[in-house]
Amino acid sequence: MTFQIILLVAMLAASAFAILAKDLLKAAVALAVSSLILGIIFFRMGAPYAGVFEISVVAGLITVLFMLTIALTKQGDDVRESKTVKIIFPLFFIVFALIDLFVMRGILARIPALEGAAEAGTFGEVLWKERSFDLIGQLAVILAGVLSVLALFRKRDRHDHE
Amino acid sequence: MIFLYIGLPLAVSAVLPLVGKASKRVLPDILANAALAGLLVYAATGARALLAQGPIVQQVRWLGEAVNIRIALDGFSLFMLMAIQLVSLCVGLYSINYMEHYGAKANYYALLLVMVAGMNGLVLSQDLFSVYIFLEVAAVASYALVAYGLGAEELEASFKYLMLSVVASAAVLTAIAILYGMTGALGFDGVAAGLRLLEANTVTGIAAALFLMGFGLKAALIPFHAWLPDAHPSAPAPISAILSGLLIKVSGVYAIARIFYHVLGLTPALSQILMWLGAVSIVVAAFLALGQSDMKRMLAYSSISQVGYVVLGIGIGTPLGVAGGLFHLLNHALAKGLLFLTSGSVQQATGTRNLDEMGGLAKRMPWTAGTNLIGALSISGVPPLGGFWSKLIIIIALIQSGEAALAVIAVLASVLTLWYYLIMQRKAFFGKLAERWVKVKEAPFWMTAASVLLALLVIGVGLWFATVFSTWIQPAADSLAKGF
Repeated sequence: MTFQIILLVAMLAASAFAILAKDLLKAAVALAVSSLILGIIFFRMGAPYAGVFEISVVAGLITVLFMLTIALTKQGDDVRESKTVKIIFPLFFIVFALIDLFVMRGILARIPALEGAAEAGTFGEVLWKERSFDLIGQLAVILAGVLSVLALFRKRDRHDHE
Repeated sequence: MIFLYIGLPLAVSAVLPLVGKASKRVLPDILANAALAGLLVYAATGARALLAQGPIVQQVRWLGEAVNIRIALDGFSLFMLMAIQLVSLCVGLYSINYMEHYGAKANYYALLLVMVAGMNGLVLSQDLFSVYIFLEVAAVASYALVAYGLGAEELEASFKYLMLSVVASAAVLTAIAILYGMTGALGFDGVAAGLRLLEANTVTGIAAALFLMGFGLKAALIPFHAWLPDAHPSAPAPISAILSGLLIKVSGVYAIARIFYHVLGLTPALSQILMWLGAVSIVVAAFLALGQSDMKRMLAYSSISQVGYVVLGIGIGTPLGVAGGLFHLLNHALAKGLLFLTSGSVQQATGTRNLDEMGGLAKRMPWTAGTNLIGALSISGVPPLGGFWSKLIIIIALIQSGEAALAVIAVLASVLTLWYYLIMQRKAFFGKLAERWVKVKEAPFWMTAASVLLALLVIGVGLWFATVFSTWIQPAADSLAKGF
């Protein structure tokens, strides 16, 4: 239990640092650390597949993409962030922490649940056989993403800016 | 084969970029519009006959083997499908001329079709997680379409829309996780049955609040509306038409209605919250619309206000109220789609959206002005157009259920609506033609044709409202009221 709390606090700290860090590179690394810890928490709570995906895709692949993008961005392009983030974010953070402490703990303890049916089949079976409709949706999301990239990075010589 | 509503647009959108390599304009135009027209014909004829025996649950077969894709069609989803295909086709036709100067038409149509597939999937799915996924399908396509012009304003609007949409998705996903954790089910009926067994009112209330926030953001109900007045005007006109006419209703109102009626159950408290959210949206957005001088921005605020009427009607919870809300959904989809199309014609002809710079355009663009007037009158609730009947039904339903205060608000806000639409008419189309607009020409053929088609539909729904009501609206309201 103590270890779990340490993990959760570390994850929160890393996430908060990712938001507050000025240096984009540091923010990306902090985000990776945060999702790495989340992956470990998933493992410990008996969701190995979620853990694997969290670590390999979110902590690994997406961080690499962030790094590449940051490396490819020219210097001098940085946009000045407004100062209010520094005030608003901690404010929200404290409010959420308080809600969490006083409200959510009480509610979470009282969430009733039906006797869960035993997991039907392996991970692969669930993904391919149980949730086939979601796979179509996921294909569509990927298609939409590819088409968006094609559309937004097209040559814009023909577009007249009003 | 109702899977066609998802499969066909996706398949066509996957080949469109390749087709675009061979033919930049003609083939994509034909292919996309043929797909949309085919789906419309199927919704109007085939699916209705299927539905005659009652709600259908279809198990898709692939290479002779049953695949676990269960999609369901009932009166409510068929009504939504019909509205989606109708407006999408008009938008597709309009795009033939309008999207000419944006370039990359094949890509544009592909994104449009993915968005249509996403909306169709959402309407057909009977599972909370599938609802979430198809919500995202439509949303991802719409982010790119809002930014399609690639100008600074478009990109900023799209980014703002993306950020608020992500918050909405997070809220929806949290609510789904809570319900799944409690009931171990994701299907509408499974979750509903589980919730009945558990009687966990507090936690169900939290899930309801999260759904309301998530879908409320998608529907742009006040106070969740901040993204819409930026996103909808920035998009190309046909996309504005589909966003305001369809997307906020499918991913906001439809989802709210389906989940609150079929999964969580509409309690009196929820009903009150929905009605007041609707009423606040109606009034606040109407006042905000009054002050706009940007034509499309005025239309965008008007969308928030009119979605308020739909939510107000559905929130009443009586069969008549639900029917009125759904009828207004259809009327608004047609009329607002029409108004955004005509605003696009005006913008393309004059190069401006600023109402103060226009004037007397009716002399140069009679078709655009005429169709715009029809759309505006319908939304304002002027008889005998469609909007009049739906608002009347909502107001009667409010009085019947003893909500006189809300009925008065609905009537007064209707006057406000008429007021700002008359301002738009006067500033844009009536009066003396300004010198600089002497050379303005009527919109090209397909743009005018699409507007005229929608205008005829608006008039037709108004004149034959009894038939439309009994064939489309009543079955939809019935299936919503009684559940699967």
